[in-house]
Amino acid sequence: MNTKKDGLSYAFFFCQQLDAAQDLNRRSLEKELGPRIRFFPLPCSGRIESLHLMRALETGADKVYVIACPERACRHREGNTRARKRVAFAQRLIAEIGLDPDRFEFLVASALPSPSIDKVARELLARESQVDPLPWGNKEREAPKEILRKEKRDDYRGEKAPRRNQREHRLL
Amino acid sequence: MNLESRLKMVLSAGHFAVTAECGPPKGADPDLIRKKGNLLKGFVDSVNVTDNQTGVVRLCSLAACALLREEGLDPVLQMVTRDRNRIALQSDVLGAAALGIRNILCLSGDHQSFGNQTDAKGVFDLDSIQLVQVVREMRDSRRLLGGEELSQGPDLFIGAAANPFADPFFYRVLRLRKKVSAGAEFIQTQCIYNLPKFKEWMGQVRDRGLDQKAYILGGVTPLKSARMAEYMAQNVAGMDIPDEVINRMKSTPPKQQRAEGLKIGVETIQALRQIEGVRGVHIMAIEWEEVVPELVKEAGLWPRPEI
Amino acid sequence: MITAERKPLAEIKESIASYKKLLILGCGSCVAECASGGEKETALLASQLRIDAKKEGRTLETKEMTLDRQCVYEFIDQLAGVIGEYDAVLSLGCGAGVQAVAEVFPRAHIVPALNTTFIGQTKQAGLWLENCRGCGDCKLDFFADVCPVTRCSKGLFNGPCGGSKNEKCEVDPDTPCAWQLIVTRLEERGKLDSLEKVHPPARWSKKEGKGPRKIAREDQRT
Repeated sequence: MNTKKDGLSYAFFFCQQLDAAQDLNRRSLEKELGPRIRFFPLPCSGRIESLHLMRALETGADKVYVIACPERACRHREGNTRARKRVAFAQRLIAEIGLDPDRFEFLVASALPSPSIDKVARELLARESQVDPLPWGNKEREAPKEILRKEKRDDYRGEKAPRRNQREHRLL
Repeated sequence: MNLESRLKMVLSAGHFAVTAECGPPKGADPDLIRKKGNLLKGFVDSVNVTDNQTGVVRLCSLAACALLREEGLDPVLQMVTRDRNRIALQSDVLGAAALGIRNILCLSGDHQSFGNQTDAKGVFDLDSIQLVQVVREMRDSRRLLGGEELSQGPDLFIGAAANPFADPFFYRVLRLRKKVSAGAEFIQTQCIYNLPKFKEWMGQVRDRGLDQKAYILGGVTPLKSARMAEYMAQNVAGMDIPDEVINRMKSTPPKQQRAEGLKIGVETIQALRQIEGVRGVHIMAIEWEEVVPELVKEAGLWPRPEI
Repeated sequence: MITAERKPLAEIKESIASYKKLLILGCGSCVAECASGGEKETALLASQLRIDAKKEGRTLETKEMTLDRQCVYEFIDQLAGVIGEYDAVLSLGCGAGVQAVAEVFPRAHIVPALNTTFIGQTKQAGLWLENCRGCGDCKLDFFADVCPVTRCSKGLFNGPCGGSKNEKCEVDPDTPCAWQLIVTRLEERGKLDSLEKVHPPARWSKKEGKGPRKIAREDQRT
């Protein structure tokens, strides 16, 4: 399948349950498109934070996909529902600053088992691009690992109580 | 001043009293009030003047009452606690009495969000029952809130409102008892369309002997049209209009709806006269004050007794 | 907790328009709880502003920091070595936090990013309701633990007013009538007669009194 020749950059956040062999399967596209494509496997789509999408866009992704398991098929019950809401929230944030909210797109796989991440990504890439390249010039790129490392520091609001700084303080 | 409250005299003489409501203008012209007053003169015992009703700024009740007093009517000053703190409230009470106003109706008032000044601060320093208590103290003990003595107390017949149709129904009469023990001497109710429910409420009122402690006047608002009935049923807080009434209006041809509405009003008044403990009727025909004389006559309440 | 909401972005942008280096300061207490000014929200706002600057071809360098509490000097002091490097501080603290930071660093421009709203509780995830107005004279015990000052739209102490519909306040059909709650609770406990006596007028001086209030505890002061 032909990959996009339009020069856009993409980020794919997706639930690992969709493709057990995703680590292998994504290599071919990574090789073809190099820095123009980044894959972020998640233990559950519900681990996506709006901030991840923002950071992906900030570091050059023209289009960000979040791919979740089908309705009612989430292994963690509500992960995909949560992911949908967080994507919607991130869409509102970029719409607020005048960017096309469609730069963030939430999708559910049609069924499990799903096609490989390679197939899914190629289908999406083959679509008519509906977003323009980001309006600013040079695209600084952080190595993909950077974003995920930050992810571990974030608290996962909604999954458990926020862990605030544990330092006890008394005034006197 | 040696003026007396005609309302008080009519009620204590045992007559079925008639009061009506009068809405002041949204402007500074005193003649508009005088005209309304003169329309009602002779057909009612007293005239209530609303106090920035629904949070809409109008000529203040105090001034309008003073104008009506000059025209020879017996005004009822409606005073809400939404717009004034206790300093202003007590001050206005003294002012009202000084101007010869002899009746006061103590209310909390509709919330400011309903009116034309939605950014206003709702004061609610006191509530309606606390205001009743304060006025009584001022009159009977000649003392302000806090205990300071007045040089002269205000001579006022104190009233409060009651809504037999509001939630929670089981508590309405207990609250009425509170108002009466706080000092309310006459009660004007929300307008009545649901007679069975009103009778139920009056039963509870009588059970507690409240009809012996305060004069209860039943509220009546004549319906102008079916649309008015529907609007009120849906939009006015605390209103209970049974479907039978709405359907009765709806099934009347539009040109005759006004007459039908009046008919219902007359029937309601006649029914009220039969209920033990109801000592009068309070007609609220806001912006339709012209209909009051007709209504009073049809209900057989004209002429008003000589006092 | 104290709740707040992020100001409209246009307002924030206007306040920081001239700045190129911003310290974006969150708070880990109340505003984190109500998802408006915590570490996460700070990161989101920072990212949004940076993307916006890029889009408009402006330079904007940001640093994100979140203090445990923005209203306590012990934490604000952590900014000492940092604040001087920035043109301004965009604070996601409540009004108390913004002002406290401004007192510690009076020459810095501390820009509020939030509108502080009310004292309230988390009713459900994502839903916060006002339940206290800080009247300084708590009467909850008289009213079955339902505050009439806060939850009755007219602040009645001898309610209900008679305007409620389907047990909801006449002002907002989503707001339960506080007096309906009070009366029902007392009835269920068999304590309805506690409402017989007229509750006297409130002592608003405990709230409005002599300007901004203070608490001074000599046993706690150094």
